[in-house]
Amino acid sequence: MAAPAQAVEMELHSTTAAQAYEVASPWGGALLDRRRLLQTLSLGLYHLQGERAADGADYSLAMMLRLDADFGVNAHLVGGDAGAETDYARSSGSRFIPGYQVAPLDLMYGYIEGRNLAGGWLGFRLGRQYITDALGWWSFDGALVRLTTPYFVQAEVYGGLEQRGGLPLSTSRYEQQGVWRGSHAQFGTGQGRPSAADYPSYQFTAPAPAFGAALETSGVSFLHGRLTYRRVYNTATSFTQQFPDASGNYPTIDGARISQERIGYEAGVTLPSRGGINGGFSYDLYNQLVGMAQGNVEAYLGEHVTVGANVDYFVPTFDADSIWNWFTHSPVTTAVGRVAVEVTSTVHVAASGGVRLWATDGDPDAFRMGQCAELGLSVADCDGAFGNPDVLAGYTQDEANRGTSLTPDALANVSARYRLRSAEVELRGMMQAGERGRRVGADVSGEKRLDGGRYALGTRLSLHDWEDPLRPERGATSFGYVLGAGYRPIQVADMRLEWEHDMNRLVGHRFRVLGVLTLRVTP
Amino acid sequence: MTPSPRRKSSSDALLPGWFAVLACTVSLAFAALTPDAAAQSGPAPPPSSATPPPAAPPPAAPPPAARAYTTGLAPMPGDIEVPLALMPPGTAVSPVPSDEIFPPQTIPLRFNHKKHVQELKLSCRSCHAGAYTSRTTKDQLLPPGSQCDSCHDVDHSDIASVKAGTDENGQCAFCHLGENPGAGGRVAAVVLPDANLRFPHDKHLARNIQCGQCHGQVGQLELATRDQLPRMAGCFGCHNMSGAAQGEARGECTVCHLTHPDGRLVQAFPTGDLLPPRWLHDAGHTPDWLERHKTVAGANSALCASCHSAQYCADCHDGRIRPRKVHPNDWLSMHAQAARQDNPRCVSCHQQQTFCADCHRRTGVARDVASGNRPTGSRFHPPPAEWTLAPRSARHHAWEAERNLNACVSCHTERDCATCHATKGLSGGQGVNPHPLGFEHKCRAAFSKNSRPCLVCHQSNDSFLRTCR
Repeated sequence: MAAPAQAVEMELHSTTAAQAYEVASPWGGALLDRRRLLQTLSLGLYHLQGERAADGADYSLAMMLRLDADFGVNAHLVGGDAGAETDYARSSGSRFIPGYQVAPLDLMYGYIEGRNLAGGWLGFRLGRQYITDALGWWSFDGALVRLTTPYFVQAEVYGGLEQRGGLPLSTSRYEQQGVWRGSHAQFGTGQGRPSAADYPSYQFTAPAPAFGAALETSGVSFLHGRLTYRRVYNTATSFTQQFPDASGNYPTIDGARISQERIGYEAGVTLPSRGGINGGFSYDLYNQLVGMAQGNVEAYLGEHVTVGANVDYFVPTFDADSIWNWFTHSPVTTAVGRVAVEVTSTVHVAASGGVRLWATDGDPDAFRMGQCAELGLSVADCDGAFGNPDVLAGYTQDEANRGTSLTPDALANVSARYRLRSAEVELRGMMQAGERGRRVGADVSGEKRLDGGRYALGTRLSLHDWEDPLRPERGATSFGYVLGAGYRPIQVADMRLEWEHDMNRLVGHRFRVLGVLTLRVTP
Repeated sequence: MTPSPRRKSSSDALLPGWFAVLACTVSLAFAALTPDAAAQSGPAPPPSSATPPPAAPPPAAPPPAARAYTTGLAPMPGDIEVPLALMPPGTAVSPVPSDEIFPPQTIPLRFNHKKHVQELKLSCRSCHAGAYTSRTTKDQLLPPGSQCDSCHDVDHSDIASVKAGTDENGQCAFCHLGENPGAGGRVAAVVLPDANLRFPHDKHLARNIQCGQCHGQVGQLELATRDQLPRMAGCFGCHNMSGAAQGEARGECTVCHLTHPDGRLVQAFPTGDLLPPRWLHDAGHTPDWLERHKTVAGANSALCASCHSAQYCADCHDGRIRPRKVHPNDWLSMHAQAARQDNPRCVSCHQQQTFCADCHRRTGVARDVASGNRPTGSRFHPPPAEWTLAPRSARHHAWEAERNLNACVSCHTERDCATCHATKGLSGGQGVNPHPLGFEHKCRAAFSKNSRPCLVCHQSNDSFLRTCR
């Protein structure tokens, strides 16, 4: 039975958040002021067609704008350096950050949607929208059409332009990794303006055509799967060589070329009284490798206990414009076992433990000794002693010296929750330790809502310790706490204020203040 | 002896550490141990229309003591456990009905279904005729008291003045429970909140879906309790159908659950928050759901969207306010080690060359620009002899790049790498080959799709490129 007939409904939602804190440079010098104001405004209009038949077509509009301003930009720079982070003319450009925006405004999403068209067979979205599947969380401007059949399957096709940083009302969040790309609006040939050639790694932005398709199961409670394909093109002019040629120019490349082309599949089956199994992968057609694969199995031991195991395989992949696709790099494989227990209806506990494996092409210690022997040097005198890498190219490219070597990290997580209708206490603890460092810590947090939610009190205690063998001076034990309070003066408004105080040897004391005002209007 | 004066330091004056710990501890204890205000002060559900109001005058005959009766007080004689075969479908998976969908009820009545159905040969319809035309869960489907009058020696026709007869089965205490029921013309109220659900009984019955297919074998039980209400796992017995058989029994959440105007499910109820059971696509929101949710969201984002708006996801995945559950404590100081361990995976939420590197440029951690931000001679990584130069030490950057290339990309731009890895000559590098073994088998297909990365390090007429063209 569908929803009863109703007229157009509107929803307006706004969040105003102010936060202030400081960022210390690891050199102990620059202290960046972060005085940030976040303003979001979202609008929803539902049942645009007016009165709706029970199973008839339904149209809606949804959009959300976001302004993220940082009034602390440049605040740490004084005298001749004042304003130099955003003005190339200051300090000879030595502090200029290309593409850095003080107050970026972006349209997070904005689309018109039609559902239940053609007797429930068709749906569409038109505008800026998200897609989430085995290929990640992604955003584009364009159209999506979905065909839903009563035969356990639906199909969708979409096309448009990928959301890219540097374009109006856009962020770089949804681009593939590995390319520094943005607006060159401040660039030019005039005095005090940077030339694009000053930053050959900083690439031009331009609309990126994209399309994709997916097949997905629908309407089944015990089974779900989604097969998805996506292709995105780069079209902007791009510097290739990072250093000037003989004539002092930087060669460029133009024209449409692949940015990403991937196929992915995720599926899961659940037997309500036994357990479930799910998994998936994504295959990068440009890199010709499996970039992600994961599998998960769970068994229900009685009504209150679930045990399971999870394996996650991940290889970094990048935009096809990026050179890093073709640098030697290895998968990161994680395997954990897990147990979740419903101790009572209000107390739930989960714990997991396992291993993360880092891989290299060759054993670092054996490789080092082999190279030293190749050069006729003792190991003690060997590191960095030889300037010409060509001599070692043969050793380096010899397959015999590049067998896979694994380095493990031990992983553990524990989490618990005690939840009542007006209060909750949570514990989250984690540990990861291995050759590449250690991180261990726990947080316990609680919130109490009073007077039916009109007032709220919250707190958090946190203790973490970490160590990095490559940078031993950056290890620390840190204790922090958060105190917060909330107030709902009227039903449509929520206010929240938080004070955070962290203390450790790296920063001494770090404070952060956060205030949030949320408004919801539904006439 | 005069105590020596002690000056407080400015930091002490700001907020002493012991005070902060004390405040947090007290707050946590307050959250954990104080009574649940909502549970205490929540308004009582309105009595249902079937609730008998005060009856007057009091019955003529003194009521027999309620405790004298031994049947109709529990589903099974002796209150033994009801066999699973008599319970609604799905009980094996969900032993009790959802509090959020079916709020707790109070039905202070003694009633023996088994006697009425099996001995007296009454059908469900005899008493629950309203169910056959009911289109909403707001309909009252318990029979009115007057329904009983045809057999019991009592007159409920004027609910404000119920007249008990002389037979035992017409006395208030024959059916009504509580202390001295009927005394003063009053009986305990039936509290039967509406189910938070869309459910048309008429459509189900019209498709010949009989009562027992949802409620279990009530006719074999004495007292029917809330436990006989349906389980979602049982609903899917039909709502998983396909093609013509599907009819209107689609499997979407919105077919049965209440929704907001934007189509998302209503999740907050006075009796708790609506959460998915573990057996529904493994989506049980356990305390470690934060670590687990990707496996469900990647396969079935529509399931997530049943309850969560895009903004909910964006708050973390494209957020501007640090989520402490993901990034606790002094994350600014700790994040470098977390990134090296790829825990949590940075690229799930951050674009490294902008989000990460912009801040690294401002603080002088990245070296490609903003040289003014970095003190002269400072170095982030181990000394060149270990980190950069040949032969490779065990701490050489090549090993770190192989293990976790994303960590490198969060600071470095292509130019940094091309300095050594580009070919010698016009490309400006040192010719250190970074390619993996087997690279030559892939480069032709890649070159045809996008030649740009090749041309960063190689000249277009480079002999190395010939194999890839």
